[in-house]
Amino acid sequence: MTVDVGAISEFEDRQFRIVSAGGHEIGVLRWSERFFAVHNRCPHQKGPVCLGVLSGRLGSSSPGSMELDESRPVVACPWHGWEFELESGRAVWDPGYAIKTVPVKLEAGRVLLEVGKRRAGD
Amino acid sequence: MYSGPVIDCDVHQARNTDAELIDYLSRGWREYVADRGPAGNVPLTVQDGFPNPHGFMRADTYPKDGGEPGSDYATMREQLLDAADVRRAILTFGDDSHVAGHHNPYFANELARATNDWSIERWLGKDPRLLSSILVGAQLPELAAAEIRRHAANSRMVQVMLVDNPFNYGFGHPVFHPIYAAAEEAGKPVAIHGGAGGWANPASTGGGSVNTYFETHVLWPQAIQTHLVSFIAHGVFEKYPRLRLVLIEGGSAWIPSLLWRFDTEYKGLRREVPWVKRLPSEYFAEHVWVTTQPLEIAPKREDAVALLHSMNLEDRLVYSSDYPHWDADEIDYLSTRLPSEWQRRIFFDNACRLYGWKPEDLTKQPAAATTAS
Repeated sequence: MTVDVGAISEFEDRQFRIVSAGGHEIGVLRWSERFFAVHNRCPHQKGPVCLGVLSGRLGSSSPGSMELDESRPVVACPWHGWEFELESGRAVWDPGYAIKTVPVKLEAGRVLLEVGKRRAGD
Repeated sequence: MYSGPVIDCDVHQARNTDAELIDYLSRGWREYVADRGPAGNVPLTVQDGFPNPHGFMRADTYPKDGGEPGSDYATMREQLLDAADVRRAILTFGDDSHVAGHHNPYFANELARATNDWSIERWLGKDPRLLSSILVGAQLPELAAAEIRRHAANSRMVQVMLVDNPFNYGFGHPVFHPIYAAAEEAGKPVAIHGGAGGWANPASTGGGSVNTYFETHVLWPQAIQTHLVSFIAHGVFEKYPRLRLVLIEGGSAWIPSLLWRFDTEYKGLRREVPWVKRLPSEYFAEHVWVTTQPLEIAPKREDAVALLHSMNLEDRLVYSSDYPHWDADEIDYLSTRLPSEWQRRIFFDNACRLYGWKPEDLTKQPAAATTAS
């Protein structure tokens, strides 16, 4: 099911917008020119994950170094801080643990969610 | 009862007199410590631990001809090495092990060097089954690393041993990393021996200081826990991926609960330590071994077995007697507490993996005088 959730121009950069689509609460994120959508439900304790803090992915090449990858947005669930990458939905500490992602299409200036489908490759 | 081969990973050898060790100090340090008139020599060991009301030694380990428990090879051979099929026994020193509790870091470094030479010359030559730890003065990590490198080629100096903590940080702190770089380079594990609490180093108990030996002995695992968490949180195993860690005399039943908590906390707090790439329990399963003594005794044996098995500790535990100390564990007794299918692994095979030995190379042999390598 395709759900139109608004014009591209209505989405502010680096902010989740929570929408209702297909009976699900879904967080839609604009990250520069890219869009991501995930279910607003953390698999840990069912917390509202999309109300959490957004950032690029913090990594490290050696103990003591802190490296930010802005191309990989991450949300930290407000309940307990478990972090998930928006692109894959996967937890940063375990690729086998994930929030549900929703495919996003941009057409004619609109943001469309493919609710009920998983993103290709998930 | 278990009657197979045994590797004992914690045996405390001792000396009877200061003179034994003073012989191994450099000429200058000998002058510093010795013959200061009526006051005697400068103390060689730190002596501010809690007193044990029983004394620290098993009463039956005092040599018949006098001397300190653990000081006489013939007694050790009779009571320990020949009492079972002991293929290797790793020496871990007595009060000298608290060298990192000395206030004077230069003296500590010299004492560590001298004590290692004493161990090689006075012990390793007596029996091919005996192996020694490398004592280091952790106050000066670069010099400690040099001491490790001095013994790198000696296959009978099998591990680097840390006991007291000279700094107010866990052993994973980067200040200690030169020690781990040298240990990894030499292919020798690092061992942390419990029991430093109450000596001249930071308190090993959280929440406040304790007042009796009873309390400190119950709480020995706290310091070991601090160091284990510190190792993983500071990314020591990422930085030194071939490093192996042995936790001696800190117990084992707490490991599952600590690792469960550690893994859970990592999921929420990874962003503080992004150099930690995997769940803490995964580093543990790959890098860490734990000695058996003192094995915690659950009222129902099966409860303890299930707990240990929950983290596959039957593959990480290595036998240790703690001879000749008052709370040493006997092989026959441990045999009653460990499932029979675990016993060969814990008494022998796991230590072979830890130290990189081929089991078939550790053939049964009568004790005989030999030269140290």
